[in-house]
Amino acid sequence: MKNKTTQELKDPYNIIVTGVGGQGNVMASRVLSQMLSLKGYQITIGETFGASQRGGSVMSHIRVSVESSWSPQIPKGQADIIVALEPVEAIRVLAAYGNPAVTVLSNTRPIHPVGVIAGELNYPDLGEVKKSLAELAGQVHFVDATDEAVKLGNPILSNIVMVGAVSGLGILPVGIGEFKTAISNLIPKKHLDVNIRAFKIGIGKVSPYSLTNHGSGHHGSGPTAA
Amino acid sequence: MEITIKGQHALHEEVRQAKFCTGCGACVNLCPYHAAHGDQIVMLHACDIKEGRCYAYCPRTPTDMDSLRKQLFNTEDMMPEVGAMKGFYVVRAGDEKLRSGAQHGGTVTALMILAMQEGFIDSAIVADEGDGLLPKGITVNIPDEIGKKGKSRFVVSPNVAEFNALAWVGGRKIGIVATPCQALALGKMRAKPVPTHAERIDQLKLVIGLFCGWALSWEKLSALIRSKGVDLKDIEGMDIPPSKYQLLQVYTKKGTVDIPLDEVDPACVRGACHYCPDMTAEFADISVGSARLPEGWDVAKGWNQVITRTSLGEQLLALARSKGVLEFRKVPKGNLERLKKASMSKKKTAEKNLAIRNGQPKDNINMDSQNPGLDNV
Amino acid sequence: MSKITKNQKGLQFLLMGNEAIARGALEAGVNVAAGYPGTPSSEIVETLSKVAKEMHLYVEWSVNEKVSLEVAAAASFANLRALCPMKQNGVNVASDFLLHLAGSGTRGGLVLVSCDDPGALSSVNEGESRHFARLVEIPLLEPGNFQEAKDMTKWAFELSEEIKSIVMLRSVTRMSHASGSVVYGPLPDKTAKGYFKSDGFILDPDTGPVISAPVGYKHVVQQEKVKKAREIFESSPFNTYEGPSMPELLIITSSACTLYSREAVRLLGLENRVGLLKLGTTWPLPPKLLKKHLSATDKILIVEEVLPFLEENVKVIAAEEAKEIGAKTFYGKNDGTIPMNGELNPDIVIKAFGHILGVSYVPMTPEYEKKAQLTAFTMAPNREQTFCPGCPHRASFWSIHQALQIDNRQGFVCGDIGCYSMAALPCGFSTIRTLHSMGSGLGVASGFGKLEMFGMNQSILAVCGDSTFFHSVMPPLVNAVHHRANVTLVILDNSGTAMTGFQPHPGLGVDAMGGEAPPVDISRVCEAIGAKVEIRDPFDIEETRNTLSRLLKEDGVKVLILKQICALSPEKKGKKKYTMSISETLCIGEECGCNRLCTRIFRCPGLVWDKERKKTRIDDVICSGCGVCSLICTTGAIIRKEAV
Repeated sequence: MKNKTTQELKDPYNIIVTGVGGQGNVMASRVLSQMLSLKGYQITIGETFGASQRGGSVMSHIRVSVESSWSPQIPKGQADIIVALEPVEAIRVLAAYGNPAVTVLSNTRPIHPVGVIAGELNYPDLGEVKKSLAELAGQVHFVDATDEAVKLGNPILSNIVMVGAVSGLGILPVGIGEFKTAISNLIPKKHLDVNIRAFKIGIGKVSPYSLTNHGSGHHGSGPTAA
Repeated sequence: MEITIKGQHALHEEVRQAKFCTGCGACVNLCPYHAAHGDQIVMLHACDIKEGRCYAYCPRTPTDMDSLRKQLFNTEDMMPEVGAMKGFYVVRAGDEKLRSGAQHGGTVTALMILAMQEGFIDSAIVADEGDGLLPKGITVNIPDEIGKKGKSRFVVSPNVAEFNALAWVGGRKIGIVATPCQALALGKMRAKPVPTHAERIDQLKLVIGLFCGWALSWEKLSALIRSKGVDLKDIEGMDIPPSKYQLLQVYTKKGTVDIPLDEVDPACVRGACHYCPDMTAEFADISVGSARLPEGWDVAKGWNQVITRTSLGEQLLALARSKGVLEFRKVPKGNLERLKKASMSKKKTAEKNLAIRNGQPKDNINMDSQNPGLDNV
Repeated sequence: MSKITKNQKGLQFLLMGNEAIARGALEAGVNVAAGYPGTPSSEIVETLSKVAKEMHLYVEWSVNEKVSLEVAAAASFANLRALCPMKQNGVNVASDFLLHLAGSGTRGGLVLVSCDDPGALSSVNEGESRHFARLVEIPLLEPGNFQEAKDMTKWAFELSEEIKSIVMLRSVTRMSHASGSVVYGPLPDKTAKGYFKSDGFILDPDTGPVISAPVGYKHVVQQEKVKKAREIFESSPFNTYEGPSMPELLIITSSACTLYSREAVRLLGLENRVGLLKLGTTWPLPPKLLKKHLSATDKILIVEEVLPFLEENVKVIAAEEAKEIGAKTFYGKNDGTIPMNGELNPDIVIKAFGHILGVSYVPMTPEYEKKAQLTAFTMAPNREQTFCPGCPHRASFWSIHQALQIDNRQGFVCGDIGCYSMAALPCGFSTIRTLHSMGSGLGVASGFGKLEMFGMNQSILAVCGDSTFFHSVMPPLVNAVHHRANVTLVILDNSGTAMTGFQPHPGLGVDAMGGEAPPVDISRVCEAIGAKVEIRDPFDIEETRNTLSRLLKEDGVKVLILKQICALSPEKKGKKKYTMSISETLCIGEECGCNRLCTRIFRCPGLVWDKERKKTRIDDVICSGCGVCSLICTTGAIIRKEAV
């Protein structure tokens, strides 16, 4: 794992964690933020809860910087990494916060909106989603986080698998050490083990076989994590 | 005549909102989107199916009457004034006990019991009442029970809804007592206009139609009766004697209450009935009404006039005669003419009302200009 | 030990704004905290309730905001420090007491925390609470970042004791629910003792009775307090300036808008042209400070949410000082530069710069924007709000809707605030037809229930929740009974204040601090008031509908309590009562006779319409196993089996 100092990340570095209410979006953003603050960064997080929990789209905006007090809402077009716990939410977020250089990390398991399961709206084919994301982002990685989480015994662990995958990208200077410290402050001891396993699986998921923009073959800024 | 089958929205607009709905129940129990509450049909949720059975079966949506008659009856039997007629009789139930529990001659009850005993049917759908005279249809499987539901009601029970529910279950042979609008709905169903679940109508074996001048609105009738100080729970029966009496008679535990007919008609008449051209239930197998006899109402009220329209109808009546289930008497001279005149009068009134409503003299709903029976005076 | 109680000066934590406020109260030595759940304020009391024992606090979820302020005020009168947090609407509910409290004065530090919701992210209004400070004449503070959320709260107690008045601290969703770095201060040793002295001289603020009368005298005293606060605000460290000494454009801002404004300046590289005056003390405004900054520029942009509160108050000062400082050009809401409604963000401020300074900025190339938006439009289906799988409200409103349709008298439901407010949407079959504030459903219904004499013959229903019942439904129930309104109240009792995070209320046997508490029985209260009461399980939809159909026909006030625990309740979580499956042979799907009743109308997220197979299927991950869908399926295709 490359050891990045606080000077090497663009400042502020903007991460969006998005998904559907109930997927553990808040937990994912908290863990990631705690991990980054352990490396000395000042973090600002903007979140929406409340009504959006009932089946609505949710987003957490994370500002990573040497200073605090950035806007909890990322300005338009300024996302650096988008972590999507649900595939079409990545598309939705890109419409407001995307840019040609953004890195997108997306779960593969869809959560159908009520309009879709009621047979009224269409949910796109996953292949189409992948293609669209590749056209709109600098690099795109897909992680079958929910499938892995189900294997571990609880689908909600998909959020931790995704946090592991972000870490595995090697862009952010955080890894298993920071994760262990951060997660132990956030959940009961009895769940620590399975969460750590989920994180490690996530790291392993970020492989050379991900889509990139413009067919350039560029795979991101660093090797996958140890 | 080109008929387009539409869906629930059109049914709602063209029939319910237009106040054409007769409360027959044909659109209920086909699906979860309609319900019957007494004599009112309500929409539970919106359905967006383009061609619905509800629209196809409704007796108030556009109907090719000519074609329907040809499918269900022999053209030689057609009489423009009263529909298909194989025979015309004056009868009453042979069993005196049965007659005492019935409205008039007990013919409907007797025929239904016979049909069940002979295995033509295993289930009979008749009208019943809930709290406060609230009409509903019920299924009866035991011949004896049929006799208990022998009284007339002047409010439409949504019997076709009961038929739909029973037919959904399957494997039955069903007989039903039907008003003219209900008989028409069942007739439309017999023509299988929509393929979905069309085979269910094959379980319908016998339709005994009732002569009908009009039906009363349950809401208005119960309000009128209550205003006369009658507790609805005490009511045992109702009747409207021949027109010269101009009365609605309500039989209660505490005695008979006479209500002047002009307080009932037109105030309590169900609005949709003003547009109905069918007095004798032209689409039934057998149609039954009260009789007119030279001895007067006191005797006549114990007899029925019967029209048989199909071979099943004739067969059942013949069986009834041979088993003594029905007593026959000679049809008085002029009775058929009187019946035809009364029927034509209802048709003319309907046509007139429709013309006023639609603003045009011909081609009104159910009044296709090719419909026999209207151009004749 | 929780992170919020770590007693080590200089520790830094990533805290949510609400947690920072709670920490600030702890650092001030708060003794009592009382509130009513309301997004975005609920976490303040929740955080304190978790450490109540450890920190020797009394923490209460009161029945409503008015009572919570009264409870907090009592602590203040007894020389203890008290905190009272609520959402913007809570201030409306507490306002009458607040007005009198401002007149009577306080003793121990008393801080009212109001968390507004610009943009109505979790409300059905975006009402402003700042105006109350001006209206009832008390000081108003607004933190501009997370450190200030803590520091200001702590200082608010000191200010309150200095001027002997309640102090209002106003936050917004993007401050309360956002998180940032907070450096801790020390926790004090608390030695406060509660005693209410009231036998002193009648006008003595510390020893006399606590009354807002004689008004002539007390109002003057009150206004002196405000003046004193204004003096203090002239040199407050919470009012800061950054930028050139003679800026081309001066931004005056407060609260979360500070963060948006600052980011906008930086993104456009305008640090040398634009000055940022951030105000933390926003009522009363310190006139000398403002005069100083107003005179250094000609153009002023005021950035705030939601209404032009700051803008109009600044303009008053500018008008008063105009002779000395000259005429100024103001940009803000009144001239349309900043929207008069909704929440703000950095892009809105950037747009304002474009308008005022002619600076252009392209956040996204037009091609990218077009492509990204088109992709989202065609590929990201809208997520409508809906009840959770297994929510008793879905079943309740199913029955209510059926009963009203069959009743055939154009009946309707008057609703109020809670998860069930969503019954105004298709997920609740659009049954709710009036929706306003807490407890208003029954009040409005009580009014409708007397209109028969004007020819109104419609069936009238009201709904409320179990928590809402205690909040403000009892008075309208008395009103309806006493005035013989013909209404039916359906109480949706899911055993908690679900919408805001499942806080307890007096109907349950537990209090905010997790201790045992005697529950108040809703059905007995209704009976005592004189209503006819029946209780049913909403998951038994036939019984519920039949009962409701019968009640709709009766005169007078009827209460139907539909009792079934919330699907998200900690007690229930994870336990499925039934395993659900679909019989594909029985499912007729799109055919006439069904037309996808379960997925199209009932719309539980656990039921999925499989477009290829043309059948419904169950999503086992989402399904909560309540079994209600099997009761609505007309062909028996949805099968439920009791789970082992």
